[in-house]
Amino acid sequence: MIYGDRKTGILVQGATGKQGEFHIGLMNNYAREVGGRGVVAGVTPGKGGQQVHGVPVYNTVKEAMSDHDIGASVIFVPAGAAADAIMEEANAGIETIVCITEHIPVHDTMKAVAYARMQGSSVIGPNCPGLLSPGEVKMGIMPAGLFSRGNVGVISRSGTLTYEVVDELTRAGIGQSSVVGIGGDPVIGQTFVDVLKEFENDPQTKAVVLIGEVGGNLEEEGAKCTDLPIVAYIAGISAPPDKRMGHAGAIVEGGEGDARSKIARLKKNGVPVASRPSEIPDMVRKLFCGC
Amino acid sequence: MKLREHEAKNVIREFGIPVPAGFLIRTAAELSAHLEALGDKIVLKAQVDVGGRGKAGGILMADKKSAVATAEDLFRKEIKGLPVKEILAEQRLDIQHEYYLSITVDRSSKQPLILFTEEGGVDIEITAKENPSAIRRVIANPLMRDLPPFMLRELAGKAPKEIMPIINKLYRVFLEKDALLAEINPLVTTPQGVFAADAKIIVDDNALGRQGFTVNRDLTDREREAEKHGFSYVELNGAIGVIGNGAGLTMSTLDLIEFYGGKAANFLDVGGGAENERVMHAVRLVASVPTVKVIVVNLLGGITKCDEVAKGIIAAGISQKVIVRLAGTNEAEGRRLLTEKGYEMLPTMDLVVKKAVEVTA
Repeated sequence: MIYGDRKTGILVQGATGKQGEFHIGLMNNYAREVGGRGVVAGVTPGKGGQQVHGVPVYNTVKEAMSDHDIGASVIFVPAGAAADAIMEEANAGIETIVCITEHIPVHDTMKAVAYARMQGSSVIGPNCPGLLSPGEVKMGIMPAGLFSRGNVGVISRSGTLTYEVVDELTRAGIGQSSVVGIGGDPVIGQTFVDVLKEFENDPQTKAVVLIGEVGGNLEEEGAKCTDLPIVAYIAGISAPPDKRMGHAGAIVEGGEGDARSKIARLKKNGVPVASRPSEIPDMVRKLFCGC
Repeated sequence: MKLREHEAKNVIREFGIPVPAGFLIRTAAELSAHLEALGDKIVLKAQVDVGGRGKAGGILMADKKSAVATAEDLFRKEIKGLPVKEILAEQRLDIQHEYYLSITVDRSSKQPLILFTEEGGVDIEITAKENPSAIRRVIANPLMRDLPPFMLRELAGKAPKEIMPIINKLYRVFLEKDALLAEINPLVTTPQGVFAADAKIIVDDNALGRQGFTVNRDLTDREREAEKHGFSYVELNGAIGVIGNGAGLTMSTLDLIEFYGGKAANFLDVGGGAENERVMHAVRLVASVPTVKVIVVNLLGGITKCDEVAKGIIAAGISQKVIVRLAGTNEAEGRRLLTEKGYEMLPTMDLVVKKAVEVTA
């Protein structure tokens, strides 16, 4: 298990907002299904004392921490307040901070991630769907119905594309250990490198599906630093240069980070790369049987 | 969003970095008033939003006598298809040496990366490939407002000591202006001192509001229309229009079109929880692209309601064929609504894309 399990108590920041309320409900449905603790506290400044789906809301993270044993958090606050939320949680000592919020200015993210690192916290995201370990814990917004428990880890910069791949894996009878959406921004807390390190120390994970896209070179960096068998897929082979493809981080700039050169570098390092999502299950099966 | 050269130079000047004397003109006649201040040697630079404008004829040398006529010539030109509406007229510098200085966001370290080389004035990507050891690299901590002196010493090396405060000033620009890139290329030494001969600043699109920009000039009209509805949109030039939810899935749909031998007309990510009105606007927007013959809708997700999506597609009432792949809540109802109206629905993204490619072949 990586970044937490069914015993992890979760805090939600932005608990009383539309998104926060909706997803507290879904996360706690999942927790009930798997016998986990789920969301134990919410935080919205000025709304302390309220309840959301029976979960107590506090004004500050520190207040919530003094009443509950909390190991992780999920952030749903607007872009202008999200970096502050990350720092508040890191300062309070939360180990895993999942930030769903999109459109946070990069400089805010850089500062918040640097601060979290000083405090010893891991930030997943921002601009991500969070993570889900089937049968254990859901921290974020992934649709749990598509997942099944097993031995394949998934790391992805996307949301819906991850669901597509997880759906394909589940239909093919390939279960997942943990599925982590690391986020579509240029600066994110946990990169492919960091999550692969976690998977390496996780006895349940025997292979990893790495779903990348145009922009940067962190897919290749990650694949180079692990011994785990990997199947990769890179989206954006048809992406024109200097255009942001939906994600702030999905951009080919200065002739770097294009899909073809990423795929070539991954293949050079011995990583099989799928040319479309529907090929992934067969390629994963081949990793296991070695044929 | 990329700032134009004169805007970037105004920004760095405010932060105390010396730039050559210069004036922005909109007609050649305006130049006459500035000739005294510019001196005898003048450079005229077209302010167009394209790279490589020098090689495309967008930068012309002149002297006091020829300046107005040269500006007239430049205003008549098109640089890579763009009309010249503004020219930055600058004093030409007596350059002794050219340096390169840039600050970017480094994805790997998640921190600012400062690059400095004594081999400036040329394409930095070429130097990076041919002589990488000539580029000095320092990673800074974004929580510090100033670079510590040792970092400045590491970067500047044997370059004149006036360069060190300039590096720190550009770092301040980078932090305070929400820059994704702050670059001075070349940074030059002259008998009169050190100057930024050119400057480039790219401001984070997610910080345009707090930096005082109301529109993103990098967007085309249709991209701006898309932004109003909260869509991410990029125009390509094929025959197959694409609407997806989520950037990765939409990109993957475009790639699949290429895989099956077709050409996509656009990228459009409608975002999460698409309701019928949003879907209607998305379909109409894509249908308005002149090259579009068929539209692929590929929507997947827990919170996307398929009946809402179906209603949006039907309400759009466009003339082109729409082929749909939908998975999520209320899937059966969505399928019923669409098949009732004669729309084609297929269960996987491979199948919808294959079908669209067949239709356009």
